[in-house]
Amino acid sequence: MRCAIQTLVVLIFCAFLMAPLNSLTDELQNTVALKGATVLTAEGPSIPSGIILVKDGKIAAVGANVDIPQGVQIIDCSGKEIIPGMIDEHSHIGAYSDANEFSMPLGPENRAIDGLNFEVPHWYDAMKAGVITVITGPGSGERMGGQSVTIKTWGKDLKKRILKENREAKMAVNARDLSHIPNIRMKLIKAQEYREKWEKYEQGDKKGPAPDRDLALEALVPVLKGEEKLRVHIHFANDMMTFLKLKDEFGFDLTFIHSSEAYKVADEIAKRKVPVITLPLATRIAIDEHLLSGIKKLYDAGVKVALHTDHPVVHQKCLRLNAAMAIRYGVPEDAALQMVTINPAVSSKIADRVGSIAVGKDADLVVLNGTWYEPRTRVDLVFVDGILAYYRMKDDRGLAEVE
Amino acid sequence: MMPIPRKKTDHFRPVGVVLAAIICVAVLVLSLQFIQAQDRSIIAIKGGTVLTMAGDTIEDGTVVMWEGKIAAVGKQVSIPDGAKIIDASGKFVMPGIIDAMTYYGIRPFGLNDRDNPVTPENKVISAYYPFGKMMHGEKGIVKDNEILSGGVTTVYIAPGDQQVIGGQGAVVKTYGVDYQTFTLREPAAIDMCIGDPPKQPMGMGAKPPVTRMGIATLLRKTLLGAQQFDQKIKDFAQKSGDEKGKTAPPPRNLGMEAMVKLLNRDIPARIESDFVDDIRTAIRICDEFDIDLIIDSGLGAYKVKEVLAEKNIPVVLGTPTHPFVQGGEVSMTPDLYREMDDYNAAKLLKAGVKLALGSFGFGFGGFGYATQGRWLLIEAAYLTGYDVSDEDALKMITINAAQILGVENRVGSLEKGKDADVIILNGYPLDIKTWVDQVFIDGKSVYTREGGLK
Repeated sequence: MRCAIQTLVVLIFCAFLMAPLNSLTDELQNTVALKGATVLTAEGPSIPSGIILVKDGKIAAVGANVDIPQGVQIIDCSGKEIIPGMIDEHSHIGAYSDANEFSMPLGPENRAIDGLNFEVPHWYDAMKAGVITVITGPGSGERMGGQSVTIKTWGKDLKKRILKENREAKMAVNARDLSHIPNIRMKLIKAQEYREKWEKYEQGDKKGPAPDRDLALEALVPVLKGEEKLRVHIHFANDMMTFLKLKDEFGFDLTFIHSSEAYKVADEIAKRKVPVITLPLATRIAIDEHLLSGIKKLYDAGVKVALHTDHPVVHQKCLRLNAAMAIRYGVPEDAALQMVTINPAVSSKIADRVGSIAVGKDADLVVLNGTWYEPRTRVDLVFVDGILAYYRMKDDRGLAEVE
Repeated sequence: MMPIPRKKTDHFRPVGVVLAAIICVAVLVLSLQFIQAQDRSIIAIKGGTVLTMAGDTIEDGTVVMWEGKIAAVGKQVSIPDGAKIIDASGKFVMPGIIDAMTYYGIRPFGLNDRDNPVTPENKVISAYYPFGKMMHGEKGIVKDNEILSGGVTTVYIAPGDQQVIGGQGAVVKTYGVDYQTFTLREPAAIDMCIGDPPKQPMGMGAKPPVTRMGIATLLRKTLLGAQQFDQKIKDFAQKSGDEKGKTAPPPRNLGMEAMVKLLNRDIPARIESDFVDDIRTAIRICDEFDIDLIIDSGLGAYKVKEVLAEKNIPVVLGTPTHPFVQGGEVSMTPDLYREMDDYNAAKLLKAGVKLALGSFGFGFGGFGYATQGRWLLIEAAYLTGYDVSDEDALKMITINAAQILGVENRVGSLEKGKDADVIILNGYPLDIKTWVDQVFIDGKSVYTREGGLK
């Protein structure tokens, strides 16, 4: 009898200590511990029944045995899986009606941030699907579309949401149009000359009149210096070879977007360590078997692969499904997770902030109610910078009718 | 109001009797050791988990296929001697998947007659190309195995949605070259669209319709024309022999003849409409003319779920992961985006609306937008995350789709007497890693996955 009462007391105590998922409130403490879930860190082996300690918006500790300080709010996540907030390295979220300045086929000076619509519901829908960091930018209607922005899909302060206001150049190429490559090359040569002119001026202790500023060429200088990325919308293998040659000529930091036929030149890409953002694998797009199994070939060749949705071409909520399709076509589960987390983070140079569950990184966490890649699995909780941004039991009324 | 008039078919019983008789004879022949029985046309799939879609799941069940039909399904089924036995232990067996809305086999630029908003006489079956790659290298649906690799054995093919009345759709199987054998129902419906796609560009000398009002008016005019055409035919038929000789019969009109089938409720109207207001218009017009209706795509259907349930109007939903609606991307159309609800299917099912899934996919074209029916199992799996039960999700792409298309006497479930359209999967159908290992259409093995079950 005494034993039973003791057990009861312990149970009641536990119930108070461990907030079950259906009793969470909006106002979480500054420090919380997520306990009991399988933690897929995207960096090391998964931690069964792991603990993640979140403090001041950052991950303070993660592991199987983490000392939870006295009085810290514990969220019981047993039976769940936790993955890092996903990253979509190429999309046009928020830019869908203003993505292409067709009148300027070579417009590296255009900045996506100036044309983004932050009021559309897409941002929230992406966040609640677990996609927390996105690179969104100009479309591919121009040879040089402009500069993308690296931004979180949720957050109260828009300024803080921006991780990086890229100065990268977004290009699009299709060598079936013979003018594409010479146009791009000429612009890069001009940028090179522009850079030299300014360097000469600055090295000469700024004597004489300063050279005229040019926004377009100015935008390309950090790309030539290798400080900013050059992301190129590219589909065909011959175009990729051309761009690899251009990379050798100009020395820029190159990433391929879409990269449909990258698998055909996987070894060449791997040799030059060019990251590849591959085609959306979701069910929307008619991709044949070669392209779908190409992702495994790229992985096997050692290419750093990231998956993308190209939202709104494929809805950003399908990013997880893209990873699932990669798994379906033979990519190991942990590698597929890396393709939507740490790989795009490294390629976008934001891995110090996001991309994995590691101490010191932003507490962008996605708690799922089952195996993370199964289509039926739902996102239960989303933390962005340690703040509970989405809580399915409360935010998604499902079949409950709105009165 | 029944959505589809179901014609009684009485060929089950004779098939069964004939089958029993032939099996008896076969057994007799065997027992006399007269000849070695080597009838390869009998195939028995043994040991798998059988999802019949017509009742309970059968663990360790057997499906016997004979002469293109299902001869037996069950746990305790005696397998005729000489049958080819396929061991499906550890695997799942279910009826072939039905894609209830596609543009398969029709070249994209052949889908719409943009100059004429109303063409009920157009038959999609005459544009359907079932022979694999075309001379230009465009992929076909059959020989390239893409559709079969997803276990899809039956599809509805429709004209495009850029016209008010596009024409007559058909239900076909995804294997074979002979229209006589692969066509299950033709015409199966008349395809229409209410929404933005059929609108003609505005400007001087614009042709109707340029608004939704115009679309509705054209629909009404055409249906009224069909009523009058029907009346003329009936009046003429009632005339006596003498009078008939004196007056000329009403001139033939293929379009009107097709529309009369709607009025007679031999076939339903399939109206693609996404905004709930367009769905309301579709219901209004079909009520006025007392015709059967199927809503296609139906992004906002949940908002009128009670009406749809009460009137027994089924809905063929687009793919839930990324609905491709009204000729465009839903994510690029802010108004439609607002109409979208992840729980559309669950809400409709709960209200009692019959649902199917349609890929709205193209069979041709390499690079570009085309949902493919081969991912329908994944789409169904996705729905189970949004309060749709596994059973309901699978029914949406099998038996319920067959019922909505009016071909449930032939396909959609594993039942004795139905066509032997059977698929074998290497795992639970709604798991991402599961592949379709083998596909049978009319009892014939038409697809085997490389590395899969042989």
